[in-house]
Amino acid sequence: MSEYLAPFEAMLDTLFPPGRVRAIDAGADWSDERAEVEKSGFLEALASEDGLPIGDVVTLWRALGYRAAPLAIGETMIDRSEQDADLAKPLLLAAAISGAADRVLSMTVDHANQRVQFGKPIGRQQAVQQQLAVMAEYVVAVRMSLDLASSGDWPTAEKAALAKVVAAIYAPQIANAAHAVHGAIGISADYDLQLYTRRLHTWRLEGGGETAWARKLGGSILSASDSSLDWMRRLLF
Amino acid sequence: MFDTLSLATIPPEDEALRPKVRTLAMEAVAGMPLDRRARSWMGFDPAFSRKLGEAGLLGLTLPTEYGGAGRGPFARFVVVEELLAAGAPVGAHWIADRQSAPLIYNYGTEAQRREYLPRICRGEALFCIGMSEPGAGSDLAAVRSRAERTGEGWRLNGQKLWTTGAQHVDYMIALVRTSGGPEGRHAGLSQLIVPLDRPGVSIRPIEDLAGDSHFNEVFFDDVDLPPDALIGEEGQGWAQVTAELAFERSGPERIYSSHVVLDAWIEHLRKVGRADDRTAAIVGGLIARLATLRAMSLACTGRLAAGESPVVEASLVKDLGTSFEQELPLAIADDLAAHPQENPDPEIVAALRYLTLVAPSFSLRGGTREILRGIIARGMGLR
Repeated sequence: MSEYLAPFEAMLDTLFPPGRVRAIDAGADWSDERAEVEKSGFLEALASEDGLPIGDVVTLWRALGYRAAPLAIGETMIDRSEQDADLAKPLLLAAAISGAADRVLSMTVDHANQRVQFGKPIGRQQAVQQQLAVMAEYVVAVRMSLDLASSGDWPTAEKAALAKVVAAIYAPQIANAAHAVHGAIGISADYDLQLYTRRLHTWRLEGGGETAWARKLGGSILSASDSSLDWMRRLLF
Repeated sequence: MFDTLSLATIPPEDEALRPKVRTLAMEAVAGMPLDRRARSWMGFDPAFSRKLGEAGLLGLTLPTEYGGAGRGPFARFVVVEELLAAGAPVGAHWIADRQSAPLIYNYGTEAQRREYLPRICRGEALFCIGMSEPGAGSDLAAVRSRAERTGEGWRLNGQKLWTTGAQHVDYMIALVRTSGGPEGRHAGLSQLIVPLDRPGVSIRPIEDLAGDSHFNEVFFDDVDLPPDALIGEEGQGWAQVTAELAFERSGPERIYSSHVVLDAWIEHLRKVGRADDRTAAIVGGLIARLATLRAMSLACTGRLAAGESPVVEASLVKDLGTSFEQELPLAIADDLAAHPQENPDPEIVAALRYLTLVAPSFSLRGGTREILRGIIARGMGLR
């Protein structure tokens, strides 16, 4: 993990607390925050000179998703990279989904440990534990596919598709599990869960959902001639 | 959460094993019908296991002084991945290589190590797992089989059940009670190495729903065993079995059980030239999930290589992996059934029929889905 992550996270925490995220969602102008981010230099993270490896930048994008901060910050990084933006944008969305998924999972575990029904925290109910376990599997799967896709240099078409397919498959399932465990409070507008779950759904579909991206991946395999294992080793690992 | 699972790369020296394993695996499956290759874990071929031993591909993680290769878990990952992807018959040495050998190495005496490990590495000493009993499945601490000390060693009575390979192999490592009763739960359990040719051992194969007889009932009727049948410490059986299960759950075998039909299906699609949007989306979705599972399994291997026992991480990968293995034959069968005019090879149809029947076992063997999810939940701090 890069040394830039902690300062980037600190900056986002200051600029985009949940209240501010809500205001921006409602149409507030955030040019002041944008100017702050510009001043920080992070918008040059992918600039050709002094740029960071894509794997490090992906951790910054996950931080955006974790805080529901504007993805325009990530898009600007990509636009200033002078590299193929179409290959990086699916990775930005997958990273944002991964960050939001992390946030949603930790909120859900906290809630399960605190909310008492039938005389004990609901997290002690096996039915709830099973849902949370599966949710954790999905969250880890999203992160691992992202890490795999962002290892090495600028993502290839196959790696970009891999990250977006997996993130898009699991995003709604993660959101659904979070709401199932939260119960009615998760549905209320005042509660922050909806800031992240609504984005999980939006980011899943932006630029194409799992079917659109799986099509590209499948097309590549079907037009190749090696075994599935060799194809994966050659193009994804 | 679960940041311990991070991307791991196979070291080049371990990756270099791949061509050698592949050649042997391809030889072993040449001419073998696809539904037999789909049996892979259940394929019992001691001659093939000895061939792998000769090639130095068994006991990869054991030190060379015990006949091993002195390599790490990544070497084993490469070998196992190649064997399973080909559908090679690995059943004979499977348990010994995966969990009996590390168990004996970690908990055995020097004499026990020298007695068993070199033969395991040659593919000559074959093992089975003696855990389940009629009243002890997921609740393993309920085992009732009992060994009592006699003047000359141990006398074993009781029964094991669902013991894969018992009718063919040489030894069982049995979890038994050596003190107290089932009410004592985790206390009073020990592990014993039981040579299955001893007087008093009787083994009855049980036919499974696909017509195979891989698992068995095993009865112990006053079976006399020497003092050094005890492996590890008396009364420490529960801790040992937990460590053993981490080995059982953390390998790449939990993602490749249905793999041979995936490649056969992709080959079929290429042959008939079907690459429309819908087909490509199904293929791409499956491969994306498989690649992710491979990355997760490698991450788990990385924890093993670091000397850890990644119990929670292994459970997470196994649960997601077996879900995938179970869905794969269903998705492929549905796709082929939607295109009857393509006349798929009867071999792939037979393999799909077999896998569809046995797929429920994927999330039973080595710990049920429900047990694994309980372990994951505890790992997340839910009590």
